[in-house]
Amino acid sequence: MSSAEFGQIAVNALMLSGILALVALGFSLVWGIMNIVNLSHGAFIVIGAYLTFGMHEFWKVDPFFSIPVSMIVLFCLGFLIQRSLINQVIRAPLLATFLLTFGLEILIVNLLNFFFKADTRSVMTPYSGTGFTLGPVRVPYIRLGALGVSIVLVLLLAAFLTRSRLGRAIRGTGMDIDAARLTGVKVTTIYALTFGIGASLAGAAGSLLSMVVPFDPNLGGGYTERAFVICVLGGLGNVVNVLIGAAVYSVIEVFVGSRLPALSQAVTFGILVLLLIVRPQGIAGKSFS
Amino acid sequence: MRRTLFSAVGLLLGAMTALAADTIVFGAAISITGKTAKEGGYTRDGYQFAIDKINEMGGIKVGGKTYKVALKYYDDETKPERSAQLFEKLINEDKVNLLLGPYGSSPTGTAAPIAERYKIPMVEANGSAESIFSKGYKYTFMILSPARTYLRGIIDAVLAKDPNVKTVAILGENESFSKEVAGGAAEYATEKKLTVVYAELYPTNAQDVSALLTAIKGKNPDVILGSGHLQDSLLIVKQAKDLGVSPKAIGFSVGPSSPEFSTNLGKSADYIFGATQWTEALKYNGEDAWKTPKAFGDAFRAKHPDYKTIPYQVAESAVAVIAYQKAIEKAGTIEPTKVRDALAALDIMTFYGKIKFDSRGVNVYKPMAVEQYQPDGKKYTVWPQDVAEKPPMYPMPAWDKR
Repeated sequence: MSSAEFGQIAVNALMLSGILALVALGFSLVWGIMNIVNLSHGAFIVIGAYLTFGMHEFWKVDPFFSIPVSMIVLFCLGFLIQRSLINQVIRAPLLATFLLTFGLEILIVNLLNFFFKADTRSVMTPYSGTGFTLGPVRVPYIRLGALGVSIVLVLLLAAFLTRSRLGRAIRGTGMDIDAARLTGVKVTTIYALTFGIGASLAGAAGSLLSMVVPFDPNLGGGYTERAFVICVLGGLGNVVNVLIGAAVYSVIEVFVGSRLPALSQAVTFGILVLLLIVRPQGIAGKSFS
Repeated sequence: MRRTLFSAVGLLLGAMTALAADTIVFGAAISITGKTAKEGGYTRDGYQFAIDKINEMGGIKVGGKTYKVALKYYDDETKPERSAQLFEKLINEDKVNLLLGPYGSSPTGTAAPIAERYKIPMVEANGSAESIFSKGYKYTFMILSPARTYLRGIIDAVLAKDPNVKTVAILGENESFSKEVAGGAAEYATEKKLTVVYAELYPTNAQDVSALLTAIKGKNPDVILGSGHLQDSLLIVKQAKDLGVSPKAIGFSVGPSSPEFSTNLGKSADYIFGATQWTEALKYNGEDAWKTPKAFGDAFRAKHPDYKTIPYQVAESAVAVIAYQKAIEKAGTIEPTKVRDALAALDIMTFYGKIKFDSRGVNVYKPMAVEQYQPDGKKYTVWPQDVAEKPPMYPMPAWDKR
């Protein structure tokens, strides 16, 4: 491997990890705080992608400017879904939430299929495919922008969770629901907020993905899987753990992909299985704190 | 609605004429519903269109007698195991004379042994996997250029423009059809004295091929060939542009022939080559009722105004019926084994290209056509040279020099 190729692969891995961190962050938040493995996370990502696509196609909105819209719409949707549906089964065994979110995924994907057809879509801007070169390494603007947006959102979320009263209430609920309730936290509202934030992060990830990959309504499934792997790799703990998981995952996917592409998924999941045997709590911590 | 009614009446009429003794009935199970419903519809429309044309022209002359032709089909719901049952039913209960293929490689694979068992020929137009023909079947014939030859036209077109091309990189989806395409392309490139500097497969539903493209960039190949599906081709072009991977030519087996290719890529689609079985723009001159692709396209549109462009599935399905027509005329009988021998010896030129089968029953003689998006925003058929619309544009300018 030449140093130029190594540099390019490292840059690719870094930029991939930005988007994947965003994908996994919402998933891990919901899982860590509410103990729900949200199988409809991928569907929220696809909704975000279609929102950006639609706004760009019909009103010529620059895809980066549509990210806040995606986030707000998905936040409201997530909030409502939690209050009206998931809250009904929140005390039921894990299987019930699995089934419910799995069903939601199918419902959303099929609705998207109905309204947008299964046609492949992409968001093409004048700056798509342009970039600058750093020695032998090429850095595409869109991927760099996506990385930037991811970093900003990750920092905002981290600040929100640690600095604000609401954020602390969310974390407190995740640590000990009874203690949180005793101190006057409205758990149902906190849960709805958490789910909404998770969905809005998925929306942002979807908006970014729509600029990077061609997609159709079935885009999301693969990303739910990736989010799951990243959470297990990193451990649920906190924002930093998710970042570690996303970075490790990206490095594996990109490096194996450049040498043995046909085996990239096998190797990634192989490492996951190994890690579960050796260090079941993930590379870093455990409960969301 | 009117079309449904129309085809229902057509079906009824078809079934009624099937009872008459002087009618040759072709039987087929086609995916009218299910995953490949759209393509199954193209197949049915192609078969029916050719059958109607033959009847309009008086039918098929066999010895001193003239036969009308009819189509008897069932919906296999895109389930290969269902199509096997339906072919049995067509042979045993409906007593059809000859068989036409279903849509897709896997149902064709399940139908072929049935044709073999009953010694009734099946001409298939929509299953390009060569694995079907490695089993020594004698009664199945494929009108299509097989998967292995899909990327040959692109290699030939590039070599014709630039004999100094030395290196090629091939990336394919890890799935049976795409693997056959990629393997065939590598073999052909080597045969043409090119060096295959990179050949790798990526997993189905890949979301990121930047790793492969980075490795390819290091090898600096003259040509990059991709064998996957539409989304993969779009992803490869987008990421090649992102990473500044600028070979002299990029070509795909699947993707560019679909209108979605240019709606997704816009100007980035320019200069990209795509393989296709057939286009309306080809300048073939055949000995069938339509003779040229353009005449076929116009006649088909006159009957089916809802088709804007004619999918190649329609053309290849129609030509399967024409192959039977020519073979029956030559055999001078409708006895299935005799028709089979006449098919095996067939050598004709049609609006779809040359039809001649090798010893396995595969039409390896028809070349794959090549389309290219050119900077005026249109897609042109650029290969084979002697029947193309326009010459190919080569080399592809670097992404940042456009």
